[in-house]
Amino acid sequence: MAKIACFVEKYNFSDPREEEALQNFKFTAENLSHKFTFLFRHDIPEIPKYDAVFIRATTDPLYTSYIVSKTAWEQGLKVVDDPQSIQICGNKIHLYALFKKHDVPRIPTVFLNKDQLHHKRLLDIFETFGKPVVVKAPYTSFSKYVEKVACETSFREVAKRFFKKSDVLAVQKFMPTAFDWRVGVLNKEVLYVCKYMIPKGRWKHGAKLRGKPTFIWGRTVALKKENAPATLKEVALKACSVIGKGLYGVDIKEVNGDYVVVEVNDNPSIYARYEDLRNKDLYEKIIAYLVN
Amino acid sequence: MLVVSNIDLTTDLPIVKPSAFLESSAKDFTLNINNDYRYLKTGYYVSLHAEILGNSVIPSSENVIDANRTPILLLRAAKAGIPTLPYLVTDSVKKIVSNFSFPLVVFAVNPFIYEGFKIAKNVSALYRVVKSLGMNYKFAVCVQPLKGEMISFRSIFGKCEPDREAEKISQKVYETFKIPICKLHVQRVEGKTYLCGLQPLGKEELSQFELKEISEEISRISKQGECFSG
Repeated sequence: MAKIACFVEKYNFSDPREEEALQNFKFTAENLSHKFTFLFRHDIPEIPKYDAVFIRATTDPLYTSYIVSKTAWEQGLKVVDDPQSIQICGNKIHLYALFKKHDVPRIPTVFLNKDQLHHKRLLDIFETFGKPVVVKAPYTSFSKYVEKVACETSFREVAKRFFKKSDVLAVQKFMPTAFDWRVGVLNKEVLYVCKYMIPKGRWKHGAKLRGKPTFIWGRTVALKKENAPATLKEVALKACSVIGKGLYGVDIKEVNGDYVVVEVNDNPSIYARYEDLRNKDLYEKIIAYLVN
Repeated sequence: MLVVSNIDLTTDLPIVKPSAFLESSAKDFTLNINNDYRYLKTGYYVSLHAEILGNSVIPSSENVIDANRTPILLLRAAKAGIPTLPYLVTDSVKKIVSNFSFPLVVFAVNPFIYEGFKIAKNVSALYRVVKSLGMNYKFAVCVQPLKGEMISFRSIFGKCEPDREAEKISQKVYETFKIPICKLHVQRVEGKTYLCGLQPLGKEELSQFELKEISEEISRISKQGECFSG
């Protein structure tokens, strides 16, 4: 019997589907005779009492979740997401640099540092990628800090905002599709596959309503992983192989029959009746990975 | 050896500016000199770029992240045999009070505050400090007991001003994290020194003497071919 700590923050329980998925993890672990405890921020000193840590709170090298991950890792505990995965997936510059180095099929991307925010460089970018282009802050998650720009003025406005936190940004070719594939991968194996539909009239899965603070999300269409295209799964596994052996959600676009990786996320969303709809065994597989 | 620096140095060796290095694919041992190695800042990206190129680099991008996150700094430092005091990462004042007695020294553990620390001498002060450094309880803080006197000093390649005791700890921190330029916060308790925190330096904080020291150290590393293991 293993003792598993699941590190969460209050917001993990605000969406009923996410809460249900968390309860599914607990139920599955306990069914397999393991102890499964939700660990909150004030419980961090208790980490050494557990055998494994499963992080569900949003990860980033600057968030508390990294402290949890690294503390567990340094103390020899099994941890998902491991610190290296957080370092790579939490910084899109790191991620795309590895994709380039290992020749992973990806959306055409260039990096821009603070000194390069000048007319000639921006002209070059628009000439190479066409208009509009997508400007991405390295710390993007949940479709935030990713903006589409079609002229130099808005490019400068977005870049200046993102440069406040990071000295390097990513700029990508705009490739609109009706949906993004999401391939869940654990320990170099495909765990689930679904389609994240893009809301009508938008260009990303999560979009802010104009003038309102609310976010709207596209539908999630799950399919049996066996029924997903083989090349899609190969591309997803190749992208994960340059990162590690943890739990990842790979976003892939299908353009003219080719699959290109948008990004690999550690700490992928798992909502009841969305990601798990056609692959119910994902809970068992993640628990088994944590305790083995 | 490639020396990438955002600081104007007087060494005879050629110095590459960070922005030029980030565009290059030069393959060689890389010594990344920067006054600010915080995550997402240029100092971090230079180390990351060197690693992607396959270069050995001082400091490594992992050390850059870890050294600037106080609980991880203390955890790894203790593992490396550097004297540290017990610490607690939490947002709960109750938990702090049940574990430590006052006074306490508190460091922020959030993406926005990276400078300094606060001292809390009683419960009401602790509530105020946890609220402000935790940004209205949105983030945790790192708390250590304050048993002696807090001392802060600049560390240049592990060398520092105060005294032998400080130099010993400064040297060990450099051996563990390889951060060439930083500010260290330590606590002096009955003659013994304990590491409490590490922070970036402002460029203007470096004295002429220290700039000379950095240049000399770079020349020394270049001549001796120090083992590169960022």
